[in-house]
Amino acid sequence: MSDTTSPIPAAPNEGASRYGEVFDRGYAHYDGPREGRRRAIVSLFGYSIKRALGIRKSWTAKILPALLYFSAFIPLIVMIGISALIPQAEVASYPEYFQAIALLEVIFVAIIVPEMLVPDRRERTLPLYFARAITRFDYVFAKIAAATVLTMTMSVIPAIILWLGRQLTADSPASAMRDNIDDLARVILLGTIIALTLGTISLVISSLTDRKGVAIAVIVIGGLVFGGLAELAMAELGQDWRRYMIFVAPGQVYAAIASSLFNSEPGRYVQIADLPALAYYAWSAVVVIGGSLFVRWRYSPRNAS
Amino acid sequence: MHVTQDAGSMPHADEQPAIDVRGLRKSFGSFVALDDIRLTVPRAAVGLLGANGAGKTTLIRTLLGLISPDSGSASVVGFDTRAEGTKVREFVGYMPEAEGLPTNTTAADFVGHMAEMSGLPPRAARQRAADVLYQVGLAEERYRLIKGFSTGMRQRVKLAQAIVHDPKLIFLDEPTSGMDPEGREEMLELIERVYRQLGIAVVVSTHILEDVEKVCNYVVILDGGRLVAAQTLGGLDVIGGEAIVHIDGDQDAFQRGLESQGVTVRPADLEMGFEELVVEVNDEAVYDLIRDLAVEQGASLRSLRTRSRSLEDIYLGTVGEMREEVRHRV
Repeated sequence: MSDTTSPIPAAPNEGASRYGEVFDRGYAHYDGPREGRRRAIVSLFGYSIKRALGIRKSWTAKILPALLYFSAFIPLIVMIGISALIPQAEVASYPEYFQAIALLEVIFVAIIVPEMLVPDRRERTLPLYFARAITRFDYVFAKIAAATVLTMTMSVIPAIILWLGRQLTADSPASAMRDNIDDLARVILLGTIIALTLGTISLVISSLTDRKGVAIAVIVIGGLVFGGLAELAMAELGQDWRRYMIFVAPGQVYAAIASSLFNSEPGRYVQIADLPALAYYAWSAVVVIGGSLFVRWRYSPRNAS
Repeated sequence: MHVTQDAGSMPHADEQPAIDVRGLRKSFGSFVALDDIRLTVPRAAVGLLGANGAGKTTLIRTLLGLISPDSGSASVVGFDTRAEGTKVREFVGYMPEAEGLPTNTTAADFVGHMAEMSGLPPRAARQRAADVLYQVGLAEERYRLIKGFSTGMRQRVKLAQAIVHDPKLIFLDEPTSGMDPEGREEMLELIERVYRQLGIAVVVSTHILEDVEKVCNYVVILDGGRLVAAQTLGGLDVIGGEAIVHIDGDQDAFQRGLESQGVTVRPADLEMGFEELVVEVNDEAVYDLIRDLAVEQGASLRSLRTRSRSLEDIYLGTVGEMREEVRHRV
């Protein structure tokens, strides 16, 4: 920074030590680099993550995210520890693990994602954001990226730890890692699909309300109710179209993708649906693209100023 | 209406115009929000005046590149608002009227984040945030959560976020809205300082004429989406106004004498004193006429004082004329 407009140093006391001098700092114009849209998007991405995790906020804002991370990681570490101490003990398969952690992931996105989006609407900071060096699409893109990356910390990182734990507790960790590197890629792919779709669905719901509590309730209860109803319909109805009800139950879609990725025995509902794996990937793409377009529409000038 | 101006007395008048608007038109359905606005505004402290629905907010949002006009174009600090919207916003600041600050964050964090949102690197953003919060008088409070701030302090945070990236121009939407008289005075002083000392051009959108009179040297008046006036305030003081004349002699004859020369004269009202005449001054030559007529009629000129037209007079006069013209056309 340079070109000081009004550098008005207070009259210095000749005898005073330099530590005792007081200066009016004046105002300096900024002539450093300006990184434009790219910096703005990165900043919004980082700020959204920090805000969701309660970083640089009061300690109470950090409690829930911390508890959820503990809930995800502690049982996993215990499970790996047991398998290290007792080699005969069965470690959960990847599809089993993803199924076990599904509810926790839903609660996690329900807590985290509304915090990224809702306060900007409720506190009416959107005009300030849209008056900066970003477009409305940039805003939505940064929020979706932040929601996805943060959800990946719950869907991908624990799964990678599980993969690592499995290899490290094998008789020959190095060769186990080499042999099972494909599993790592599958784990990352599945975790990313879960993060992208759950994150986008949560953003869509969060974009519809100015109240975090409402968004949280709709994500958790809505997810459970819709999932439950879809499973009930699939189990009880006789018509052929019941198979498509699987798309209303994201948990079952993830189970179907896991089953196809790891060649494991499909669950009951996946068997009832009996759809090709491609259908589940297409569903994921439709959810992410459609959800992003919807959120962008919600943040068009007509709907959000 | 295309208006250029005598901006010789303005600190940044020699630079390119802050705003250049060419035939801007914007309508929402059948409602015409901006109607063929043509305007060139220097880098000045500009008061944007108009009643509710006059088109002030639409004009600001269009100039920020947030709304695409139906026709016409505009450039702000040298960037085209339609093609280079993000570039405009990189070099322009905006302080909205609405309460719009995150409450559960500190002033330093938020202002720093806004600097990054304008493209500044993180380190420079933090440094700038500390500097501008000092400039707006929030140095001590910068690490406090915004939710504990008074209305005046929040307005200062909003001003700080508007100037943190060292813009060339800032738009302030009703900056003194909801403030107590003391806070209002302080805010106006800050705005004046932003323009005079920090060298940042300012556009103040407001209903309060007094605020414009205090801090602005240029005024843009909108009414019903049309540009009514765009001119320097100082210039108006010189050419527009009234002379209050007190003579010893035949007042009626003196009034008739001036009227015969085409000057508008009326007896002063009770407030000023019945013995005085109010002479409209549209030209410096009116003063010579008064002097010469007094000599010709042998009347002594006891006093002659001038009264400038207030901004309210200008506003009401120009808006009234424009409405009359529109009514006449219809």
